[in-house]
Amino acid sequence: MNDKVGFQGDGFNRRDVLKTAGASLAAAALPSMPAFAQSSVQLTLWSWLPNFRDQVDLFEAAHPSIKVNLVNAGQGGDEYTKLRAALKAGSGLPDVCHLEFQLVRSFEQLKALADIGPSANAHKDEFAAWAWSQVSDGDKVYAMPWDSGPTAVLYRNDVFDKYNLTVPKTWAEFADQAIKLHEAAPDVFLTDATFSDGGWTTSLLWQAGWRPFEVNGAEIRIQVNGDVAKKFAAYWQKLIDAKAIDAKPGFVTEWYTSLDEGRYATWITAGWGPVFLTSFAKKSSGKWRAAPLPQWDATKVASANWGGSTLAALAASQHPKEAAELAVWLTIDPKATELYTTKQFLFPTRKAILESSEFADKPFEFYGGQAVNKVFVESAKAVDPSFQWSPFQDYVNQTMGDKLGAAAAGNGTLAAAFDSLQDTLVQYAQDQGFTVKT
Amino acid sequence: MTEAAVSSLVAAPRSFKRATRRTKRVTTALLCLFLAYTFFPLFYLLVASTKNNFDLFSTFGLWFGHDFSLFANLRDLFAHSNGIFGRWLFNTFLYSLSAGVGAALFATAAGYAFAKFSFVGREVLFGAILVAVMIPQTALVVPTFLLLAREGLTDSPLGVILPSMISPLGVYLMRVYIEQGVEDALLDAGRMDGAGEWRIFRSIVFPLVTPGFVTVLLLAFVATWNNYFLPLIVLSSPDYFPLTVGLASWYRLASMGGGGGQAMFSLVLVGALVSIVPVIILFLFLQRFWQGGLALGAVK
Amino acid sequence: MIEASAAVNGNYNGGADASPDRTMAASPKPPLRKRRRFRVSIVPYLFLAPFLLVFAAFLVAPLVYALYTSVFRDMLVGGRRFVGFANYLRVAVDSDFWGGVSNLLFFGATQVPIMLSLALTLAIVLDRGALHARGLFRLGFFIPYAVPSVVAALVWGYIYGPAFGPFSQLARGLGLPPPDFLSDRTMLFSLANIVTWEFTGYNMVIYYAALKAIPSDLREAAAIDGAGAWQYALFVQLPMLWPAILLTIIFSINGTLQLFNEPYLMRSIAPAVINTHYTPNIYAYFLSAANQQYNYAAAVSFVLGLLIAVIAGAFTWATRRGGGASR
Repeated sequence: MNDKVGFQGDGFNRRDVLKTAGASLAAAALPSMPAFAQSSVQLTLWSWLPNFRDQVDLFEAAHPSIKVNLVNAGQGGDEYTKLRAALKAGSGLPDVCHLEFQLVRSFEQLKALADIGPSANAHKDEFAAWAWSQVSDGDKVYAMPWDSGPTAVLYRNDVFDKYNLTVPKTWAEFADQAIKLHEAAPDVFLTDATFSDGGWTTSLLWQAGWRPFEVNGAEIRIQVNGDVAKKFAAYWQKLIDAKAIDAKPGFVTEWYTSLDEGRYATWITAGWGPVFLTSFAKKSSGKWRAAPLPQWDATKVASANWGGSTLAALAASQHPKEAAELAVWLTIDPKATELYTTKQFLFPTRKAILESSEFADKPFEFYGGQAVNKVFVESAKAVDPSFQWSPFQDYVNQTMGDKLGAAAAGNGTLAAAFDSLQDTLVQYAQDQGFTVKT
Repeated sequence: MTEAAVSSLVAAPRSFKRATRRTKRVTTALLCLFLAYTFFPLFYLLVASTKNNFDLFSTFGLWFGHDFSLFANLRDLFAHSNGIFGRWLFNTFLYSLSAGVGAALFATAAGYAFAKFSFVGREVLFGAILVAVMIPQTALVVPTFLLLAREGLTDSPLGVILPSMISPLGVYLMRVYIEQGVEDALLDAGRMDGAGEWRIFRSIVFPLVTPGFVTVLLLAFVATWNNYFLPLIVLSSPDYFPLTVGLASWYRLASMGGGGGQAMFSLVLVGALVSIVPVIILFLFLQRFWQGGLALGAVK
Repeated sequence: MIEASAAVNGNYNGGADASPDRTMAASPKPPLRKRRRFRVSIVPYLFLAPFLLVFAAFLVAPLVYALYTSVFRDMLVGGRRFVGFANYLRVAVDSDFWGGVSNLLFFGATQVPIMLSLALTLAIVLDRGALHARGLFRLGFFIPYAVPSVVAALVWGYIYGPAFGPFSQLARGLGLPPPDFLSDRTMLFSLANIVTWEFTGYNMVIYYAALKAIPSDLREAAAIDGAGAWQYALFVQLPMLWPAILLTIIFSINGTLQLFNEPYLMRSIAPAVINTHYTPNIYAYFLSAANQQYNYAAAVSFVLGLLIAVIAGAFTWATRRGGGASR
């Protein structure tokens, strides 16, 4: 029988060595964990914010018994996919995670978020009202507001001068300017309407008064193709048909170059837009300005939010108190929050910064010396807090992007796309077990 | 056709030679055209890697920009985020080599079993293994993740290495290779000399099939090196990412709107350039194994 | 059937390997026979074990789990419910799924023949010509296989760029309208180009190796019979290459229907064209990742797998050769 024994002996050793070698090689190459005292708590924080370690170090300095392992688990959708998979598997979750505003409700639905009300409610008044309403449900607080994106417009002063355009105060004026520009220069557009980006479209609809979702436990009211949507669709359809605006996707190479070269005269964007623009549009430095978002009704100034994130403590955390403390501290500490605006150029949600003249009045050379933050601060004041997100918002965003994007590119009309969206969302909600009202 | 054609071929040597020379020029031109097509995107990648972020968007794509920033870009590449790119490079080597060696070992052993032994269910099992190639990867990745989570292997190199050790094509190749390259007589001689099965495998079979082994190793190595989806789902710590996932995450970071996004395309492109160099070098030095190994599948 | 060993390692045994194991029947010693039978029964399984272990753990197990998942429905409200074949019935009438399939069928019907013909032509040309840099060409053509699809997509994405890609810049320089590679009508062709770029070399290497396995005296014999270069290629080489061609066709069918990486990466630059159900695998991915419909995604994946098996099987059956093509 020696051959059998021999085989097993050798083979087992060889394979085993290989596996252990692989694992130990990997382990050895990892930065070694610092040895810490028994009383110290180890937290894991998932966030994609660049250079976040600086603020996390400040937290550790202020809390000697807590050590934070900062992990970038992907940006946006990637991180959410991992969170959901980890939730399903019941393991691998962090203690605190980076969650965009629009997803808070969705993770609340999965019962993934801890109620940090006891630690958080004390700071309720430090934040913009609309931001707080999106992270809380009465006294229950599911996430801490972190950064935001109130909407406004960045425009090319030189292009406006060249074609004698005026900064539109209403959407009616905007449409007129768009058509005028198109007639003067077929290759230049007043803006690029990025309908394939559900987030962008939602912010404009929000401004127009769109309130598509209302959730009550297992009941949900869905109405995405109501009057507001119809008016919105008709407005943009007219511009699309007249080819007065472009409808290409944003945040891609072509788009970056188009903005820089003046192919698009405006960018309808959010509070994080100004600094983001400076990172890639070198040629057009000094030629940009900021202006408030055009209004549907000049007498009723309304605005919306696009983007922005929160920090949420997860219900599955083994150290709920420390996790809550981490989420709260990182979003209220004066030094840390100030750093977000100066280091990572996030647009704040804290009233203290929003109202400070240091932030609002800071001149930007890229914008010809204009204090662009002020425009966005004013916009933030007009963000309507009554907007509610759905409990499956990334699905909604994807589907909106699919349908409206296809329509904007010429396959059907926006109005038909909204109707199709309504049907699809109702079906989806029913599949997910909700009782759907329309 | 025959005799007249032959005599015409023989009787007109000069025109025949001219024809073949012309044909050779035409064929060489055709080959060069296709070679240009093959290198066109790689040339772009090289040129783009020498530009900084701004030149990338403003100068002509296929020629160099105003500054030659290749070395600056390389410096930035390896410095960014505390040298995470270097880690990604290391991870990719680790995963690919482990998976490659493992896949080749397992495939060789399994191929040997199929080739030189007869046992119950042999062809059925072999067929099942081949059919496995057809299974859509997306069907497997999420369930794989959920199963790995149960075993605590998510966010671990093993979660990437182990699934990558499955090479049904490798088993097929090794079976064919062993069937044709190892004579039964040798094995029987070994057995009659009293050698154990493992000894026979190690000392007789293995040395004979080394080219095939290296081929399977290379196939699995490259497949793991280029794999995107599996590590994307299984890993969450950037410390464990391979190059594909890392580069794609930077690309998404550069593209996404919202607070915190950055435009870092030049880094992405230089990273892409660096990521293809090792495998290309591998190809250069281990050519004959490719040609040989793929021959088996082709002919049998 | 041509023996491959000649091509591979030069020791052509003249077919000896194909003979059955004579020694087993001739063994005279009872104890030896008994030992061999015992060895034969356990040993192969031992050699198979490592492979089968990983195979079972990381292929069979997830497959079974996916099958299990596909007969349930997990809901945000109400948890898990057994639904039997409901998911599969829904796939059967899902226009998003079949739309993706038809995209790929059209894609495959055009791209695969072109790519394989190109690979075949290149292989034949390389095989015949006494070129100096033959090895260089072979290596050069194979290089795209070393490039991850992430990189290939990035690079071709820029080249395709409508307003500022190199072709558009050239077109504008000449006063012509810029070509739109990323429109609804042209996307499949643009993707086909990327996939062709990635895999022609790979297929060519397979054909070239198979060509090398054809004994050279056949070519001389054909020349004596008066066959010209192209007749030789068409009537002698091609039929002998059939096993290789069939292999690459099967791989291509499989790869085409499972297309994910390239269109998924193109989605960032053309999200209006590449929607969330552009290919079945993209659809399955979004069903799992964004829609949280894991169960339905599993059903979609199984139906896709079934489709691939049916098409590949049908193709093999329809093109089966009566007695084989070898001499």
